[in-house]
Amino acid sequence: MSVAIIDYGAGNIESVRNALFAAGTNATVARDPDAVLAADRLVLPGVGAAGPAAMRLARSGLGEAMAEAVRLKGRPLLGICLGMELLAEQLLEFGRTPGLGWLSGEVVHLRDAGVQRARVPHIGWNAVEPMGVAAHFFQGPERMRTFYFCHSYTLVRHALGAVAAHTTYEAPLVAAVLDGTVFATQFHPEKSQINGQRLIRAFLSWAP
Amino acid sequence: MLRRIIPSLLLRSGRLVKGVSYANHRDAGNPSTTARAHNAQGADELLLLDIDASREGRPPDFAAFAAVARACFMPLTVGGGIRTLETAHRCFDSGADKLCLTSTALDDPRLIGNLARVFGAQAIMLGLDVLTTEAGRFLYDHRTCHPIPALAWGEWLQRGVAEGAGEVRLMAVDREGRRTGFDTDLFAEASALVDVPVILEGGAGSLDQIATALEAGADAVALGTMLVFSDNNLHKVKSFLKNAGLEIRL
Repeated sequence: MSVAIIDYGAGNIESVRNALFAAGTNATVARDPDAVLAADRLVLPGVGAAGPAAMRLARSGLGEAMAEAVRLKGRPLLGICLGMELLAEQLLEFGRTPGLGWLSGEVVHLRDAGVQRARVPHIGWNAVEPMGVAAHFFQGPERMRTFYFCHSYTLVRHALGAVAAHTTYEAPLVAAVLDGTVFATQFHPEKSQINGQRLIRAFLSWAP
Repeated sequence: MLRRIIPSLLLRSGRLVKGVSYANHRDAGNPSTTARAHNAQGADELLLLDIDASREGRPPDFAAFAAVARACFMPLTVGGGIRTLETAHRCFDSGADKLCLTSTALDDPRLIGNLARVFGAQAIMLGLDVLTTEAGRFLYDHRTCHPIPALAWGEWLQRGVAEGAGEVRLMAVDREGRRTGFDTDLFAEASALVDVPVILEGGAGSLDQIATALEAGADAVALGTMLVFSDNNLHKVKSFLKNAGLEIRL
């Protein structure tokens, strides 16, 4: 099984590759559409500003290749942080940017999503409450369900059925989504030590 | 939301060092084996600063960053000499997750926004060195070892966050390495000025002092000397805090 990390110039690619390696997989880095289409599983990481990232995905043809691999051919995709946000229809960061549109909903600033008093960005370890449909990704005891978050934006006005997990940071926030062969997290499994390793292994063994 | 306990590592010539008030540094071990130990003991994040890069006007030690990053399955913030977008990219390519800008931001405040627009505010940490004397609190320049009286520390803090920093590392320079306890008043003053997360550093010497800082409201604290020149380790620190009823990840 080959796993490719999609590199669109806005990611902590090395962190993700290191975590996948620890989980037993020698992932490649996909910088062009062919490399995306050649992989059995994809990881879309993301640290960065949404607008330029969405633009690079579109211009490079990587977004289109992802759509073919995941939406048409049904290959599993793990989206991480910005890699989850980019799947939404619209991203409201320094203006309005269209996302890939795989998930209904918009990505807005935490201050526009009910986080009024708490500090923003939401940075640190927080507990996640999974929904039943996502049981495969959150096996193990409840204390293993804390993950590292680092974000200023969040998914809202989404389809309720796509939500795989919540977290609470003053307001309830979407922590993960599950839709077809896409599983994506707002938190960073690659930076969530053993809890993240379990989740990454669950993704690698996932047969949607 | 859990409190964060963050080991703070200072890098010099490929080794870790630790001093007192940013001076008199002593060898503090190998970067990557130290990082591996902190990872195994459940560090919530790691901070790694190349303390000579800015003063020497060179980029940071990417090789050391990469060696530490390979041992880090928790977030790694790196700093030192990050002056350009290219250097910032190379830090991420070396395995960093966030960047800490201290003196390079003072030299060029717009650097903060330029990097935040590319990597997002959540990846840009403003390093703030504050020296407290009988005459008051001052910004401190670790390159010259002198305060910067012309710019009020609170003003710079607010400016840095307005420019786009999404987090602050607040170092009480006068307490660094002295084990006299955290400056919780400084934390409260800084927290009132900005609405981004603030990491308090400087002065940790005992388990009780850390508990006191957390009880006083510090959401995140960084530990240097205490994890280097004492028989403490992170697991012991976090177990103590959890047993004291604080929200700690074990």
